Amino acid sequence: MTSQLKLKEQLKVNDELFAKTGCMFGLEKLTEKENNPGLYEAVWHILLSVCNTAWEVGCKVSASPVAAEGGDALWALHTPTGECICTSYGITAHVGLLAAMVRKFIEMGYEDSPGFKQGDIFENNDPHYGGIHMPDMDTAMPIFYKGKLVAWASSVTHVADAGAVLPGSINFMNPDTFSDGMPVSLERIGENDRYYPWYELRIKSRTRAPDWVLGDARGRLAGLITVREKLLETIEKYGLEFFEKASREYIEDSRRYAVARIRNQAVPGRVRKSQFKDLTLKGKVVIMPKQDIDLLSNVPMEMRIDANANVHLSLAGASGSVPFGQNITPTALSSALLMGYSHVVGFDMFNSGPTFALTVDTPPPGSWCNPFPVDWFASTGMGWSSAIRWLSSLYEVTGRLYYMRGFVEEMSAGAGTTMAAEWHGTNQYGQYAVCLTLEQASNGSPARGIADGEPAAWCLYTANADFGNAEVMELYYPFMYLGRNMEPDSGGYGKFRGGMGHTTVWMVMNTPEIHYSAACAGANSKITANHGMYGAYPMPGDRVAYAAGTNVKELIEQRKPLVHERGLDPDYPTLSQNIVADVLNNDVVVPANIPETLHEYDLVINPTSGSQAMGDPIERDPALVKDDLDKGLTRPWVAENIHGVIARKEANGDWLVDEDATTEKRRLICEARKQRGVPFREWWQQERKQIVAGANMDEAVKRMWRSSMKLSPGYAAELRAFWNLPADFEF
Amino acid sequence: MAEYDIYDVEDIRKLVDGELPWTTVQQMMKNGKDRDRFDKWLVILQGRVPWKEKILLPLTPALFIVQKPKERVVKCRCGHEFGDYRVNWKLSALIYVRDSDEKISEVYRGHEKPDTEWIQLREYYCPGCGSQLEVEAMPRGCPPDFEFLPDLDTFYREWIGRPLPETVEFVDRTPERIKEWTSR
Repeated sequence: MTSQLKLKEQLKVNDELFAKTGCMFGLEKLTEKENNPGLYEAVWHILLSVCNTAWEVGCKVSASPVAAEGGDALWALHTPTGECICTSYGITAHVGLLAAMVRKFIEMGYEDSPGFKQGDIFENNDPHYGGIHMPDMDTAMPIFYKGKLVAWASSVTHVADAGAVLPGSINFMNPDTFSDGMPVSLERIGENDRYYPWYELRIKSRTRAPDWVLGDARGRLAGLITVREKLLETIEKYGLEFFEKASREYIEDSRRYAVARIRNQAVPGRVRKSQFKDLTLKGKVVIMPKQDIDLLSNVPMEMRIDANANVHLSLAGASGSVPFGQNITPTALSSALLMGYSHVVGFDMFNSGPTFALTVDTPPPGSWCNPFPVDWFASTGMGWSSAIRWLSSLYEVTGRLYYMRGFVEEMSAGAGTTMAAEWHGTNQYGQYAVCLTLEQASNGSPARGIADGEPAAWCLYTANADFGNAEVMELYYPFMYLGRNMEPDSGGYGKFRGGMGHTTVWMVMNTPEIHYSAACAGANSKITANHGMYGAYPMPGDRVAYAAGTNVKELIEQRKPLVHERGLDPDYPTLSQNIVADVLNNDVVVPANIPETLHEYDLVINPTSGSQAMGDPIERDPALVKDDLDKGLTRPWVAENIHGVIARKEANGDWLVDEDATTEKRRLICEARKQRGVPFREWWQQERKQIVAGANMDEAVKRMWRSSMKLSPGYAAELRAFWNLPADFEF
Repeated sequence: MAEYDIYDVEDIRKLVDGELPWTTVQQMMKNGKDRDRFDKWLVILQGRVPWKEKILLPLTPALFIVQKPKERVVKCRCGHEFGDYRVNWKLSALIYVRDSDEKISEVYRGHEKPDTEWIQLREYYCPGCGSQLEVEAMPRGCPPDFEFLPDLDTFYREWIGRPLPETVEFVDRTPERIKEWTSR
């Protein structure tokens, strides 16, 4: 231990030790683990319980629907220099951000001024200084034992309203950073376990749901104090020396675990996966003229795994920053990546360790993932949006690597999208309310190597997917749930399909008026949600439906059918069949702030996506297709034309598969493919001409290519070379 | 992790074929990972293909990198070969592109349909058996993903301790193939 050093000096020593040895804190041996394995493991679980207890306490103290019902929060424990030792359940995307924040306090010289002492509370939500976006408020508290700073506790909650230009916390519409909301820029916001009054005043005057935002602040604080008090008990019991040694070993242990998993389950080489993120606002309600535009973002991933099983990631080719909240900083992106790693690679002792098992090249300056070097005013209001598409690639490519080594039980296809539903208006208690529902926290899970994904039970950005109880949400928000149903075929088509997404049907109630927004937290709408994997078809993009000025009141009085799901036929949805309305739109391209104000008995149909499928759909076990037909999870035309399963409905309503006809149908599908498929080179020659002519390309596509090629000349050269285009070719 | 090398080939076969109870699968997921899984995996896969070339690495459920007498090529389970594994195999596949409303409507309907001015659905088929090998959803202009270029020699030599007889350069040879197309 080098406890006599100032923290800033200790950081430098830590970095040098890592560079020299490749091990965190220079720990080439894990002596506590080797000498006291039982104690080492036991204290880990105690620390885990400490963090999880803080999560339980903090979420309940908060009382905001996002934390209390959705658990969209996190508490963690850090070393004195900021590396995360251990974290609670919850939104694990923030572990890297919280570690970076504590490091930033130290690098900024805060140890000298304003100084660190027991009871201090520090906070940041400003992306310019390491935050992700304003509604995610990152808070930390130093922990002293007998006068020595021995650890930090940290926390994040996603508050209901960030004070951004528009209500809510999924602030995709922000045109610039000045509209991102109420900043807290690496500040000390309290002492002696109490917030400063001026911190609370700022929340009261600058957010639209101050009771909930303050509730979250108190929840964070309650959890931080819980971590501190429980940690001090633990140190008292097991000794400071053991804690200091073991806590560092947990981090190095976790780094080694991630490296070992890659080495044992993957293959060295180069992985590439493209992803795209659409954003269509042209002709919709926007804030500034520059936002009257449709955009497509390029979200490429290149992963290199070297001989030492270290992972290197590049975003060369990423397109430019956008005049919306869809930009993210490299710090936040790395933290998001750590969350992905926590799901698929390094999830044993989850902490900062895996961060040091990978490197991310600095993304192109001026791109959506590194905007500030070029545009300091860029908004990061919903910074997760494009990063979520990128993380989907991490899932898929890791699954592909695991398959190669035979670890089929560890495989996962790519993720779903994350469209969020937000409301603002007057609630049933006559108060102004901003309402983030939690539907998006329960996607279908990705297809696995040996089975379909799970329906509506998984979320990319939090380990504990939970869309909250409808009945509880109805207590908070002025609408009634008419349905929460699995959306047929929302997991794509493949040998194994992704888990089904779900669709929520809301009826507006007990409010004079309210506004609904199909907000972008990572949605795709003009394009498919993803690729396929191993020959599967992608799941469709996100589209919502709504009806304003409806006849629902009369239908209820007449006891006639309402709308509880979207229906099996997208060409003739249940909404159109059952409802008459002044405005009825079954196919809203998102994101969108619905222009009509909604009133009593108006309806919204809000889907949450499934996830990616894998495998040729005609290899799907006909028994699984039959099962989906019986449950209404696939449509008959999909069963026959996509899966090649010939089945008929029996009198009892169940489906019966004709095995021989299915075999023949599948043979015919293969033959048809060979008939219509053309040699790649032939297509390449024709496609090149179309590219040169710019044929059948939306301006958003061309704009994306221009931007990507400008920001990443190497990527541009490779693209031109592939299509044999002149060196000066531009889209 | 030798203590986890507890599964035999038949265990892994049952796992792959979905024949194990979910509780057993969960236990396998929670356990440390067997170091010799790859060897068992190759035994299973090699027994399922109708050809004799040695599988060096399975790329996908349908495609394998195999050792030919003088080269390593990508080969479909049906036996069709796609050439040097360092060239994106898609360049040797059949392709069908859904880039119109009519073509996309065979797969998606109503609100499910993407806009074909934004994205085209590229289906890659094996010329031998008609298997649908990959589906890409790409805007026009995007080269096909070369999903994985393995560093096979490093893998065999340094990761599993069985160097391959001959070393080949770890390099993406796709651009060379494109140059060949344009220079003829």
